[in-house]
This record gives sequence, structure tokens and C-alpha cells, in this order.
Amino acid sequence: MKTQQHSHDHAVDALVIGTGAGGAPLMTRLASAGLSVVALEAGKHWNPARDFATDEKEQNKLFWLDERISAGGDPIHFGNNNSGIGVGGSTLHYTAYTPRAQPDDFRLRTDFGVGCDWPFPYSTLEPYYDELENFLGVSGPSPYPWGPPRRTRYPFAPLPLNGPAQLMERACAQLGILTSPAANAALSAPYYQPEFGWRPACTNRGFCQAGCSTGAKASMDVTFIPLALSKGAELRTESFATEIETDRSGNVSGVVYENGGARMRQRCRNLFLCAGAVETPRLLLMNGLANSSGQVGRNFMAHTGVQLWGTFEEDVRPYKGIPGALISEETHRPADADFAGGYLLQSIGIMPVTHASQLARGRGSWGVALREQMRAYNHTAGINILGDCLPHPDNFLELSEEKDGRGLPKPRVRFTNGENERRLTAHAEKIMRQIWDAAGARDLWTFQRNAHVIGTCRMGDGADVSVVNANGRAFDIPNLYIADNSVFPSALSANPALTIMALSLHIADRFLASR
Amino acid sequence: MDTYPAGTVRALLETDDVTAPTRAALEERLQAPEASPLRFFSLSEMETLRAAAARLIAQTSAAETMELVREIDDRLVAETGNGWRFASLPPDRETYRRGLAGLEESARALHGFGFAELHGEQQDDVLRCVQAGSAPGEIWRSLDAPRLFEELLADLVEAYYSQPVAQEQIGYAGMADAPGWTRIGLDEREEREPRAITA
Repeated sequence: MKTQQHSHDHAVDALVIGTGAGGAPLMTRLASAGLSVVALEAGKHWNPARDFATDEKEQNKLFWLDERISAGGDPIHFGNNNSGIGVGGSTLHYTAYTPRAQPDDFRLRTDFGVGCDWPFPYSTLEPYYDELENFLGVSGPSPYPWGPPRRTRYPFAPLPLNGPAQLMERACAQLGILTSPAANAALSAPYYQPEFGWRPACTNRGFCQAGCSTGAKASMDVTFIPLALSKGAELRTESFATEIETDRSGNVSGVVYENGGARMRQRCRNLFLCAGAVETPRLLLMNGLANSSGQVGRNFMAHTGVQLWGTFEEDVRPYKGIPGALISEETHRPADADFAGGYLLQSIGIMPVTHASQLARGRGSWGVALREQMRAYNHTAGINILGDCLPHPDNFLELSEEKDGRGLPKPRVRFTNGENERRLTAHAEKIMRQIWDAAGARDLWTFQRNAHVIGTCRMGDGADVSVVNANGRAFDIPNLYIADNSVFPSALSANPALTIMALSLHIADRFLASR
Repeated sequence: MDTYPAGTVRALLETDDVTAPTRAALEERLQAPEASPLRFFSLSEMETLRAAAARLIAQTSAAETMELVREIDDRLVAETGNGWRFASLPPDRETYRRGLAGLEESARALHGFGFAELHGEQQDDVLRCVQAGSAPGEIWRSLDAPRLFEELLADLVEAYYSQPVAQEQIGYAGMADAPGWTRIGLDEREEREPRAITA
């Protein structure tokens, strides 16, 4: 760990908690503007080439392993499904899938009368999407077939299609469903950036979801973080925030955190919570802050993410290539929908231990049947959706009575898919089955899942129904900001990472403009 | 479905096709664990869990089931987990302790003997009942049997398919990660990927 630059007693301009898609862009922006910035990260700063193995078990170190309690009718799987720790947060194991949200995603309530509109339109985030795709080095098709015309092209050509993508492309062509190579934040050619040098092209290692060892994937630790450090930001790793301190006027004055068994306190002028939709509300609830609306922990959402798996005559070897190589957004707002919102379709590969685990949990397979199904691993390919999820009063995060190793209450998350999610999923399963039937799949089975945790500190225009305003500032505490997936007013029918980063830059720029 | 020759992953580890961090992780796993006594499970719990593992994974050797039990034992001693648990189950240690007692109870109720003493078909019958939530026994009144079954199965399956020898059986070659892949499309195999013996 680098030497500490800022003294604990000196109130830094910005203290940032969390260094994932929410924290990293923002800390870079603030440091670039000349502010004193300290970021606390609960995990380690890995050296991917030295520390990352192509082995799922070894890579469990990338997941948040402090226990979360999953309640409700559809308990959310955390750990390797929804969490992240270490410099870069969950971008260390995101699939690099970076579709933009579309303009109508920001006005679900206006269009459907359910859910929640965002307090600003697509055009507010559009310049950040443009900027991010260029900075991260997103590989994707130009023009992109869906959504409004773009002002910028993807800087790199799409990544090559692997076996699952070829199967989906072939079947969708037969069925008349438009597909395209997907936008992925992994490089299809080497990329040089003056502040931190070269990142190499993707080697099709297929291990994005358990850590990229080459730097081809644009996780935060190989993009924003080195830039932030070059601009003077200070990073403190293995530093777990436990208390937020306030002064007499109710402003945040500092944060207490644990580092190597010691208790530290960092004073700050402004605090930015970027710890994700579980740890951010947990920290606020533990400290009894920013919750005059009673909305902290409410509006918990998780994308509908059902997967359909099948086996094929062809050799697929689903461990090679970018896992989500092909996309269709033809189902963004299906004409025959009996639900609000929509979803995207993607082809998916899979790593072997994850596949075995899903067969066990999702299909209930064991014994000889499981062995037979696993012998078909090299002939396995999947399709997956990423779709809307509406907030529901019964879906929320709260503190449980159980304590973790630090003596802090474990978070408990209640989640049950509602009628809209069930209808959307049924619609998707029907289309996915048509596609996989056309592709020649046998032994089809669905894996029901919800992916990405969203909500819990809603952004909005009213202090009575939301936690932060459109600039990410807490209604209750003027120097407290939240910039991560917890502020999403609606789930969006697109993978969240790119939008979290865009939101992070938006919040940073609004903050700088207000000073 | 397909079968693959034995020894492919171990052979790859001898080549330059595997990066150092990957080799280190797999070679450590290939080392036979020390035959030290278990620290969490009692002898009878160990027998029950081993018997269950032999049915749930199937076609395993005695040494392999022992290794699976040892891995879960180590994890329960260290109190490390996968980052979440079902609200309907108690903490992992209690889940295992009561879950194994539940298997015993159901085995005796259904077939008159302890789980490890039953024939394979009878053991499968008990396991099917637990999975379906229909197994008899006092313990299942206060322990969510299908969720217990899911957790136990996932633990065993993840541990088993993390083993290089199990990965050889399914023809997985992802650990050959040094060169990168160029032949990634359908029916495109690279020289270092094993060829199936039968298709």
C-alpha cells in the first residue's frame, strides 16, 4: 500500500467509499479538478497478471463474502452473482457488457404508469456515455442498431463471436430476429492512453466473470483508478467504513473505518458513498442517517435475468471468447407485451464450476444425471435476458439482528418477483425457446435468476419519497452524496455498469459546478 | 455424452500453456490433503456426509468423497462462506449439523437404518424425499429441507468440479490460459484442447 498522503485530521475535499463503477469515475473527476480526494476500499488492490488465475475457486476472492441474508419468495444469490470487493469493485468480475440504457428507460412511469421516472432524461447522461465508451475502449458495432442515432462511434470493432453467439445468430436469422455483435468494454485491439500506457487486446480467455488477467477488460482498476492516482487521488485499501460522523449542524465531518484491526478516522468536507446497493444503505441504516423519507433500503430491485441452456451437436466449448458476444434489443418494447418495460437478449458462454453449480441449484440435478449433463459441457450454450424489474413495497433491504465478524448487523434482503417480472420472464422464455429450438438445441432447461442489485437509496425530485436529488445529494445532509447503483430510480432494461459510471461522472460534474 | 481421455489437465500443467498463477492454484489442489482428523464433523456425521456425497456426485472414489468432506469441514471451521445464505436456514454450522441429523432421522424412518448403512437405492430415495421436502422427521419441521438439500448439493458440486481431475472428465481446457484462444467458433478446436473419445 502506498504511503498515506493526507493526514487523518485534515478534512479532505472528498472522501469516497468504494472504488467500483460508482466510485472510480467520480474520484478521477474530482482529483482532476484539483480537489483533495481519499478513497476507502474494503478490499485489496490486485495485480491481475500476478494474482488472477484462470480458476473459479481461486477467484472467489473477487466476491463480497461477508454473509448477506436472502429472504422472500425469490431469494437473491449474492457472492459470485451480485457483489464485489477489491479496487475496481464488481467491475473486476463484470462480463464487460456495456449496452446503453435507451431514452424510454428513463421514463417508465410516463410510458406505462408504473415504476418510476428518472429525474432527468437520457440526454443528461448521453455525453457521459459518449465519453465513457471512448475512454474505456468499448468494442461494438457502429452504427448500433437500436436506440437513437449516436454522436460517436464505438472506438473499437466488435469482438469475435464465440460458439454460443454463432448459434444464436444463425437461429435468429432463420426466425427474422435482428441481432448484432454486442458492445463490450474489452478491447478488440491494443489501446494506448497517455496517462497509463497500453492495454492489450482481448485474448478470448473467456474468464471475464472471474477476473481479467491481461487488462483487456475495462475494469476500474486498469482504467479510472490509475488515472485518478496520476491526478493525485489517494487510495486506502482494506479499509472498511463503519461510522459516519456528523457535526452539530448535521453535516458529515468524517468517517471511521477499520484497517488491519485498527480504528481510523478521516475527516472530510464532503462524503461520497459508492459502496453499492447493499453496503451503501447498510452504512446509512447503521448510522441512522439520510433517512427522513424512510426510503433507505426500500425500492430494492434486481434485473430479471432468466437463462435458457441447451446442448448442441456442435462442439461449443463455452469457456472461450467474450461470454456475451451477441445481442438483440428487438425485445426492448415488444409489441405483444403484457408487461411494462422490456428486456434485451444475449448469447452466453459459461465457466465449468458455475455451470455445475447452476445445474445443482437451478435444475436440481445430482448423481448420474448430473454427471451426464456435465459430460455435455463442451456442447452447452445459453441465452440470457436482462430485463426490467419494478419496485415493490415488499422488496427491501434491512438490518438483521445477526451480527457479522465485526459485530455489525448483517444485511437482510427480501425479494420476490412481482407480476410484471413473471410476465416478462414468461415472454422471454417463449422467445428463447424458439431461438434455441431453431438452433438445434436438445435438453433445454431454464435457470431462473435475478442479477444486479439496484435501488435502496432512490434518486428523485421529492425529499419525502427519495433519498438523494437529481445531483446525487442527500436531501437530509447537504455534504453527503451517493453515486452508485443504489440511487437508480428504475432498473433499466440494460446492464447497469456503464450507466453507473455515467451517473458517477454526472454527479461529480454537478458537484464541481456547484462549488 | 462425450468422454475424454484422463490426464489432459495434468499434462497441460507440464507445458508453457498455463500461466503461473493458474498453475499454482491447480497444483496446490492436486496435492493430496493431509490425513489429519476432521475438526468440525463427528465421526458419524462424517460417515453420513461421505455417503451422501457418494450418491450426490456419483462415480466417485472413497478418497474423492473424503476430500469433499474435508473441504466442507475446513470451511465450517474457518467460518467462511459464499457471501450469502437463505433466510430460511440457520448459519452454516447449524445447517450442516442439523441437516445431517435430519438425513439420519429420515433414513431410519423410511428404511430402518442409519443413512450410511443403507443401499445406494435407499439412500437415493431418502435424498429425493429431502430434495422434494417430503422426508419424514422431526428436524424438517424447523429446517427447510429443499434449501438444505440445495446448499449441500451446491457445496459438493462446486468443490468436485473445481478439481482438475473432474475438469479432465468434461474436456475443459480453460486453464491453458497463456497463449489466448483464436479458434473460438463452433467446431473449432485448438491443439491443446482435448478431443472427445466418443461423441
